[in-house]
Amino acid sequence: MSETGLLVSTRKGLLLGRSSKDRTQWDWSDLQRGGWIVDYSMHDPRSGKVWCSASHWQWGPRLHYTTDWGESWTEAGTPAFTDGERSVEAIWTVEPGGKPGLLYAGIMPGAMFASEDDGESWREMTSLSQHPAAEHWEPGAAGLVIHHISVDPEDPNRIVTGGSATGIMISYDGGESWSVRNEGIFNEHFPAEFQQGAPCVHSLIAHPRQRGRLWQQNHFGQYRSDDDGESWHVVGEDLPGVFGFPAAIDPRDPDVCYFVPHDSDQARMPYNGALAVYRTRDAGESWERLADGLPQEGFYHTVYRHALGQDAGDPLGLYFGSSGGELYGSTDAGEHWSLMREHLAPITAVRAFPLD
Amino acid sequence: MSVEIRMAKGLRVHVDVPATVNVDGDNAREAVDALIVAFPELQRFVLDDARRLRQHVNIYINDALIVDRTDLSDTLANGDRLYILPAVSGGALPYSTPDSPTKWS
Repeated sequence: MSETGLLVSTRKGLLLGRSSKDRTQWDWSDLQRGGWIVDYSMHDPRSGKVWCSASHWQWGPRLHYTTDWGESWTEAGTPAFTDGERSVEAIWTVEPGGKPGLLYAGIMPGAMFASEDDGESWREMTSLSQHPAAEHWEPGAAGLVIHHISVDPEDPNRIVTGGSATGIMISYDGGESWSVRNEGIFNEHFPAEFQQGAPCVHSLIAHPRQRGRLWQQNHFGQYRSDDDGESWHVVGEDLPGVFGFPAAIDPRDPDVCYFVPHDSDQARMPYNGALAVYRTRDAGESWERLADGLPQEGFYHTVYRHALGQDAGDPLGLYFGSSGGELYGSTDAGEHWSLMREHLAPITAVRAFPLD
Repeated sequence: MSVEIRMAKGLRVHVDVPATVNVDGDNAREAVDALIVAFPELQRFVLDDARRLRQHVNIYINDALIVDRTDLSDTLANGDRLYILPAVSGGALPYSTPDSPTKWS
């Protein structure tokens, strides 16, 4: 087992964690980008850069990277619209593309950008935002956002995006063209005659080992697809509820998925104040409630959509944060949890990666 | 018109610019453009992608808040002072109403 890196994004800055080889001890950086709202951070294994997308109440969004574990940060280019109307409000996700220097960014309001020079310059992928389906996009409570981008490691031209409420869009030509993949997602607010596929995606993961296998936490349920979203299967019928934000997978096993169900879109917190992660190991046929070490009463926070992440360890390591600023971790695939940090600002994103 | 631009400490903690800069301009747009020519990094702090004043940034000409936040066409007189200030409203959630979820939910 190698040391693990952990990026904990919060509303008041970013923490970088470095584990011992057994992942039981963690060294933490000082707060990075302090005072800025860190919307997302990720490690790019190609360049070794840690990317940090942050925005500021007054001064707008920025994209920075570090190559020395936060000793210094370099400001990259910031995606910007050129139509004289829209303006980038936040960068919700940044993901590596399929060739050196290629990055993708998911934007609020509703757009995707690409950079071919490792973040120095960006161009809007108008094929997505000018798709006919975009006429029907509507902002969710969080705004109009592309917040998930999955690039197939075997076929980098296959890109899947998820957003609120832009739905699922898939491309097989590197983003030149897109298809909508919302059919079969049920919107419980609408009567049956108005069902058109609920586009309010909360989390979307394309499994890297099984082409076609998608996991989705939607506003209205947990879903699995085996055919790139051509059809969707409800998998959360035995979960305590349909609502929730994050999802995580086991990179080695496409039948494993984790969700954190919350008590409806009216409450947006775990049921009865009891925090639990749910795991399937049979592609959604059955679920296990994983709560050993998690608070089982009086927990009234939210686990945001990017705030659950997995590492590549064996057994799998899982880490998640809450809007109450608590960070929990498990080194045995969720069987047992421990409190890793507390008193942080609301945790917006948690991402783990192996350190060399 | 020769005017003086004063920038709040809340801006200068993020970007290395002097507290006071003298520029020429007949309106707020020309003055801000001249400031950005001298300090290009200020553009993204003060203006959005469409070159409007950011939602939570204010510009005062002497003691009056500018009216035109889109084109910054408010006129200047010789000797005016132009203040660039973070709005106090910047502490509010920019994308949500008070009873709706935050942008991360």
